Formats: sequence, C-alpha cells, structure tokens
Amino acid sequence: MAESPTILKVRDLRVSYHTYAGEVKAVRGVSFDVERGRAIAIVGESGCGKSVTAKAIMGLIKGPQGEIKQGSEILYNGENILDYTSKQWQAYRGDDCAIIFQDALAALNPTMRVGKQIMENLIAHRHMSKDEARAEAIEMLRRVGIPEPEKRFKQYPHQFSGGMRQRVMIAIAFACDPDLLICDEPTTALDVTIQSQILDIIKDLQREHNTSVIMITHDLGVVANIAQTIAVMYSGVIVERGTSEDIFYRARHPYTWALIESVPRLDLKNKQELASIPGMPPDLLNPPVGCPFSTRCKYCMAICKEKMPAFTDFGNGHTAACWLHHPMAPKVDMPDHDSPTTVAPATGAAPAATDGAPTEKEVSR
Amino acid sequence: MVKYTIRRFFEMILTLFLIATATFFLLEAVPGDPLTERANKLPVETRAQLYERYGLDRPMMERYVTQMVNMAQGDFGESFVYAGQTVEGLLHDRLPVSARLGIQQMLLGVTVGLGLGILAATKRGRLPDYLVVGLSVLLISIPHFVLGLLLQKVFAGELRIFPSIGWPSGSQLWFGGWQYTVLPTLTGCFTYVATYSRLLKSSMLDVVNQDYVLTAESKGLSRAQVVRRHILRNSFIPVMTQLPMSVAMCITGSFFIESIFAIPGIGQYFVTSVNNQDLSIVLGLTVFLSLIYIVVLFITDILYALVDPRISMPGSESR
Repeated sequence: MAESPTILKVRDLRVSYHTYAGEVKAVRGVSFDVERGRAIAIVGESGCGKSVTAKAIMGLIKGPQGEIKQGSEILYNGENILDYTSKQWQAYRGDDCAIIFQDALAALNPTMRVGKQIMENLIAHRHMSKDEARAEAIEMLRRVGIPEPEKRFKQYPHQFSGGMRQRVMIAIAFACDPDLLICDEPTTALDVTIQSQILDIIKDLQREHNTSVIMITHDLGVVANIAQTIAVMYSGVIVERGTSEDIFYRARHPYTWALIESVPRLDLKNKQELASIPGMPPDLLNPPVGCPFSTRCKYCMAICKEKMPAFTDFGNGHTAACWLHHPMAPKVDMPDHDSPTTVAPATGAAPAATDGAPTEKEVSR
Repeated sequence: MVKYTIRRFFEMILTLFLIATATFFLLEAVPGDPLTERANKLPVETRAQLYERYGLDRPMMERYVTQMVNMAQGDFGESFVYAGQTVEGLLHDRLPVSARLGIQQMLLGVTVGLGLGILAATKRGRLPDYLVVGLSVLLISIPHFVLGLLLQKVFAGELRIFPSIGWPSGSQLWFGGWQYTVLPTLTGCFTYVATYSRLLKSSMLDVVNQDYVLTAESKGLSRAQVVRRHILRNSFIPVMTQLPMSVAMCITGSFFIESIFAIPGIGQYFVTSVNNQDLSIVLGLTVFLSLIYIVVLFITDILYALVDPRISMPGSESR
C-alpha cells in the first residue's frame, strides 16, 4: 500500500446513543486527519464526545445502545474501517491501532497477572510462543520504566501504584508496535508529577516507533508539548482546529479562549481566581440549532442561536466555526490573560439570520 | 494465616455453643415435652420411671448443663421418641442418603444453570435470554411438592419409565440404583438451575461493562477469548462464593422431596423430630448442621482469596 502522509481520515463521524430518555447525539459530524508519525490532540470538556470519537476509531461503539450513523467514514490507510468484518477488526485492534484508557485500574483485568495481559497482545498478533512473549513482555515493562520487571511481571494490577499501572497500559498498547495510538485522557487520574513522566514515556515511544497519536484530553496543559495539531471539540462537534501555535497564540473561537483562560497558571503575579466557563454544556438529547456554545458565549449574537456557523479558514489549516469571523460581525480579539479586557457583548451589531445567510467557503465538517 | 485459622476456630466453638443454647431454650419454651404423648396412656408410676430414664424429672437448668457437657464430649444422647435412636446413628444411616440426593441435584443444577447463564448473558435481549429468564422464574416458583408429584405422575404413573418411590441402599448407597434417583434429582435441581443461571448472568453483564473488557477487545482478541479469559473468570467470583453455601444446603436434605419419594433421608427426619419435640435429636442435628455451615463459611473466605487476588487472607503476605 502506498504510504500516504495521512494515516487516518475521519469524515463526518456521527455517533448516537439510544437511551430511555431518547437519542443522545454524542458526536455530531466530526472530521479530522491524523498525519503519519504526528500527534493530534482532541481537547474539550467532559461529555463533548471526545472519548466516544476514540471508541469509534477502536470499533468499541456497541449496539444496541450505541450507533454509528450512516455516512460516517473512518479511513485507515484509505480503508473504511467501519465496514470491517469482525476478523478484520481483530487484526486491526492491538496491532495497527492501540488505545490507552484514562483509569488504568479499571482498564486492567484485576484477576489476571500483569505480564499475561501484555503477553496476550503479542500472542494474538505476533504469533509468538509463550516463552518469547514472556521475554518480550518483560522487555516492554522495562522500556516503560518499571523497576524489577521480572518480579512485577507476575503481580496483579492492584499491587501497582497509579503511575505504574498506567505504564503497564502503555506497555500493552505499544507491545505490537501500533501505527496509531489513541490516548484517552491518559494522565487525568494521575497526580501532576507522574503526569509528566507518563507523557514523556508516551512521547519517547512515539518518536522511537514513529507512531501517530490521537491525544484526547480536557487539559490544554497536557497537549502543549505533545501535539502538533489541536482540534477543540464542543458538544459533539469540532469548533476550532489548527497547529498548536495557532491554537495557543492565535485562537479564533470564544470557546478556545475560555479553555485557554481556564488553564491554571503559575506565572501570574497577583493571586487570581481560577477562571471557569460559566454554565453547562448543552443537553445532547436536544442539541441546539445554532452554535452549541452560544448559550455560554460572552459574544453571543442573534444569529448564533439560529444557525450553525461555517468554518472560516485562517490559512495553514487553521479553521474555526464562529460567526465572529463573518465580515459583518464586530471585531473581537482574544482576551489578554494578564489584563483581562472586557469586550462588550456585541449583540446589537449582529447580522440577522434573515438578511441572507452569509455565504462562506464551506469547509467540510 | 495460622493465627487467623485459630481465631476462626474459637469463634466457631462460640457460635456452636450459642446455637445449641438457643435451640435448647427455644425447644423448652414450647409447651409440653417429648414424652407427653407416649406417657399419657401409661400408669403414673411407669410415667415417672420413663421421665426418670430420660432425665426429664430434673430441673431445666440442670438438664441444660448436663446436655452441654455431654455434647462437648461428643455424646448427643438418645432419641426421646424412638428408643435406641441416636444422633450418631442418624448421621450414619440417613445423612449419606440426603447427601447423595443433594449432590446429584447440585451437580446437575449448577452445571445446567451456569451454561444457561452464559447463554443468557451472551445472547442478551434475544430469544435465548428471554427463554432462560422465563424458565427460571417459572421453575423457581413451582414448589417442590407440586413439581415432584407432577413428575411422579407423568414419568412413574403414566409413562412408567422410573419407579415412583424408593431409594438405593446397601452397596448401592452411593453408586447404582440410578433409576430411583432420577425424579428426585430432577425435582430439586431446578432451584439450582434458576439460582445459578441468574447469578452468573447478572454477574457477567456487570463484568461486560467493565473497562478491562474494552481493553481486552482493543487488544484484538476474539470474542471467545475475551469471554473466556476476561469475562468468565471475573464473573465467577460471586458464583464461587455462593457454591459452598449450596453444598451445605444440599447435604442437609429436603423435607418435601424426601417425603414425596419416600427417601429415608435426614431432612424428613429432622422435621419430624421437631414436631415430636425430640430434644436431643433436634439439638444434635442442629449443632451438626451448624458446624457444616460454619466450616463452609470458612472455606468460602479462603475461596474468595483464591479467585480474587485483590483479597488476601489476614496474615498472609500480599506484596
């Protein structure tokens, strides 16, 4: 197969969960690319659909509750994995694509020795004998920085500390040298010092194996050092996407601004209260017609509640879906952290939805 | 571990003592005594002799102390109702009968139950699931004496495939004489089928939603491998801990089944002796059956530690 620079293309991914209350539209049309050997971060708060996106890429959305909608495409090396048979899924999972979950204690089988959990992978995909797999699993434990790997190999997950358990998860994920790695909030359950160690291990192994990474997190601080590209997700859609510099220094979406503001900072002189975004994300049983962030947005205009904004292209792959970038909208800039300037809510000058919906270059969403 | 076992041993003695005491005084609290019926027709002197022979002329507290001291020495005494019948004799003659019946019921019932449980859990929400659930509810709601009589009528009365009553004895006590055991075994096994199919199903459905099952699937294991290596072992934890209780229950016999099929087991005798206020027999059997339960609870604790590595026995090294 020709090595295209893009390993994974997600196109118009829509995932719903059928509950007693109705259909929860967890992911509502998400598109992004993962470049070979690079890392993309998907950032957003709890319930925005980022973990569901990860599960969809792993083929872990299960019926009858979970449903991937018709028309969604996930192209792995050009093949739509959503059409895979269960045999193809088995070959893909663990070998081509691996995942690291948030809570390693829950994600490791409590009644199986840690070593065996790594060996399973190797035996399934590398067709190793038990002895070869054992040696390789011990080597993996050593590579992720677990001291005394021979002894640890025989222990159970509850005998490991939180950081060590996450290392075991990394060892399982990297055992078969996957081309694509999904990290679903890998450091959320850990304390800060361990967080950076775990991220360093992932980064080192990624560089060594030239692995492509999808880093899913709610913590912008985590992605800064790892990801070249960042996609900001809100209530099931991507609202802004760009290189990490673009997102950190030239963000264009009010939600991204709010996220950046709420990263705790150590360099502020006066003791400032930790910023938070007021309000709650919209109910995905009944997603809003317009921009999903409009209910919490400081700059909300009349049209925001009526029509979903199209993506505006800022060049270099940086796009944001916000009405503020419509030529008729008032000019607002990203607020400065050190002296938060209040931008007057620009509701008055909003372009009304009635006077001709603005025609913008439609970027696929 | 040794310290723990010793502690459990003393707790066991204390429990047995309390159970024996409670049983003794509860039976004493019932109006009348074991000899009332027999002695009523006798002349006054003979009656007094009879009371003296069994020691029933003594004050209650004295009899309590004597009984406890004797039991501590392993002497449970003689039946008040049937002369010459002792607890030891009963355990020797009747317990094996009840035990064989119980073990057969359990082996069949638990095996079928676990199989159906796996079926119901893996085909959740589809026809096999509903069938298993419906069948368990139906079978668990039919009392043993109804089901027993029904099986007796159909298979013994009309089809004449199996004998309607009786039980193998002598050299066939444990093996052989199978045709006699089929109907009683069937009658009792459905309790286990229903209990274990539901237990394993709910436990499996709980485990299926655990994150580590997602991890196992994301490794690219086949469905069968995921079920066998990751789901089943963890689902068996509640089953393993229920099993010893079932063993204890199954060897203590069943009054209804033993009555219907005229099986000379211990369950039937136990109930009869309570009705007769046969104090020494009731006391002896109660203490013996309690002993079985207590030992079984101890085994359950050890089993927990064996099937679930997260639980370690007190005093044993965990790291």
